[in-house]
Amino acid sequence: MMAEANEIAGPLPPEHRLDYPNVTCGATVTGNLAWHADVVVVGSGAGGATAAARLRDAGREVVILEEGGLHRVETFTTDPGTMIRRLYRDAGTTMIGGTPPIIFAEGRCVGGSTVINGGMAWRTPERVLRRWERELGLAGLSPEAMAPYLAEAERILHVEPNAEETWGRNTHLFLRGAAALGWPVARAPRNMRRCVGLNNCALGCPTGAKQGMHVTEIPRALSRGAALLTHARVDRVLWRGWRAVGVRGRLVDDAGRARGHFTVHAPLVVLAAGARHTPGILKRSGVAARQVGRGLHTHPNAKCVGIFDERIDPWIGTHQAFHIHHFLDDGILIGYAAVPPGLLAATLPGLGPEHAERMALYNHMLTAATLIDDESEGRVILGPDREPYLLQTLGDADLRRLQRGVRLTAELLFAAGARRVLLPFGDLPELSSPEQLSQITAHPRERSTIELMTVHIMSTARMASDPAHGATDPQGMLHGARGLAVADASVLPGSIGVNPQVTIVALALRNAERWLDAS
Amino acid sequence: MTELSSGSSRVLRAAVAAIRPRGHGFDQPIDDAVLDEMQRYLARLPAPFRLLFPVGLRLLEWVGPALAGRHGRFSQLAPDEGRSVLARFQRLGGPCAGLVLGLRALVFLAFYQHPTVLASLGIDWQGRADMLTRQRALLLARTAGEPPS
Repeated sequence: MMAEANEIAGPLPPEHRLDYPNVTCGATVTGNLAWHADVVVVGSGAGGATAAARLRDAGREVVILEEGGLHRVETFTTDPGTMIRRLYRDAGTTMIGGTPPIIFAEGRCVGGSTVINGGMAWRTPERVLRRWERELGLAGLSPEAMAPYLAEAERILHVEPNAEETWGRNTHLFLRGAAALGWPVARAPRNMRRCVGLNNCALGCPTGAKQGMHVTEIPRALSRGAALLTHARVDRVLWRGWRAVGVRGRLVDDAGRARGHFTVHAPLVVLAAGARHTPGILKRSGVAARQVGRGLHTHPNAKCVGIFDERIDPWIGTHQAFHIHHFLDDGILIGYAAVPPGLLAATLPGLGPEHAERMALYNHMLTAATLIDDESEGRVILGPDREPYLLQTLGDADLRRLQRGVRLTAELLFAAGARRVLLPFGDLPELSSPEQLSQITAHPRERSTIELMTVHIMSTARMASDPAHGATDPQGMLHGARGLAVADASVLPGSIGVNPQVTIVALALRNAERWLDAS
Repeated sequence: MTELSSGSSRVLRAAVAAIRPRGHGFDQPIDDAVLDEMQRYLARLPAPFRLLFPVGLRLLEWVGPALAGRHGRFSQLAPDEGRSVLARFQRLGGPCAGLVLGLRALVFLAFYQHPTVLASLGIDWQGRADMLTRQRALLLARTAGEPPS
């Protein structure tokens, strides 16, 4: 028999041999479903999977609902079109409305965004935990109190640094640039097991090295008796008085079209649908608390592309083995990534022959980016179609921070040997020498022409002791209600300035412990 | 796959011809494959986008050329004329800019990820994935002391 295109001959990695028992595919169910459980968890990403596994470990009957499908690692490929359609919400086309608009990408599949993230696994910065403790009265989130949960999160996610032999030429150039400027680099902890440097993290790791929830807590919870319903889109929470008693929603096909309805009755509802859809579900469920959907932070990213004389082959070697945290106290993080040609192309100017001329240099390009710790707070609103929409406009301070971050990133690329640097500004698209760097910060850039994207949104149902400051209490339970918890990035009390995966998992571990104590 | 009307398909084909890279090693005759891939993608867009997309194409077809001082319909223009119309359309901002940016993104994604184009760039990402997956399996099996499956 002929082998399939992505079939691997010879030995298989363990992630290609995982069992997923107790899974019901909602896309193939005919008619409606009605289930009962002790806990229903909405979402199977970093927070949802962690909470579900912990609650199942404690003997609770757990049902996990996921809007996307279960995609096994051995079906992953390196084709961006195929994988984005399979794994990303709205095929990666979500926008955060504002000036400038921000492209937002998140997972919609079993494992959520842990399947498509870059695998960065930073702990919550100590200064952030201290701020939450001091300013929001969240004493239980001190660095000392969070340390065991952060350590457990690292164990679950299998956090380790990349081996040097997996570094590509892009990593060496990034290091060269930082060294020339005297900037210390931070070796990135990443949630992976023996990463071999394929650099396909954002499209799902076909090698199985990335230890997202789809290969860790989800199969573990299922093997211990949790149930998973895929293609299940939650419309609203069911209430009896002020107590949540379950959820109701629609079974959908892979394209999101409704097929039937489902109801899950449970005395504990855990929302972990992400910082866009969790407040969306709450708003659709009649929760009128002012703080629901407020406080949105987005960690906007701006990219710079350095063009080098030498061939880099940016598609070879590991993803982001290093970051620069030297400017983290100023709200600026600098990293780099290999972007497939089809995705990088959309961010380069021009059409036809003009575009071809630029893309002919693809193998000579190093894509670096700055992520800013945004102060401006956006929000989630319900549209006329009852879908949640994201709004955020960057304030002047964030714009200055962004321009400085871009300037530093471009400076690093020139220091690494770039001949030209392409910028994310429509009114300043390119620099051809380091002497021009000052142009980036000479005056505020035209906001509407700034090209931004993000994969981190947070804080839209943030934890606070006072309901006037956050939608959830210090245990992640919805203020003013009973039986409803939140376990995703929505509960983060503010922006953290680094990739939030470990923080989300640690908070889910901590809060699940408290829900069990209280029940 | 999303089924577009023949009118919308005609405009989309003209947009592909205008946007797709040319020269510098990018002359592969793959417009049909690019169109097929774009239509697979369109089927996964959120409902408002799916509904508005054909409207945007019709607007481009009938109004676009006039913006650039040209006569006729967009689908009748030569690729270089189509490019100048698209540039003018984008400068209108709002949904018009969104349509052009969306078309660019879809054409470039489908074009540059086509196997023949990747080959011309010397990129074999999938071959590397297969090789590294085997390599990792052997490495894990060796270090764990367990035989590979």
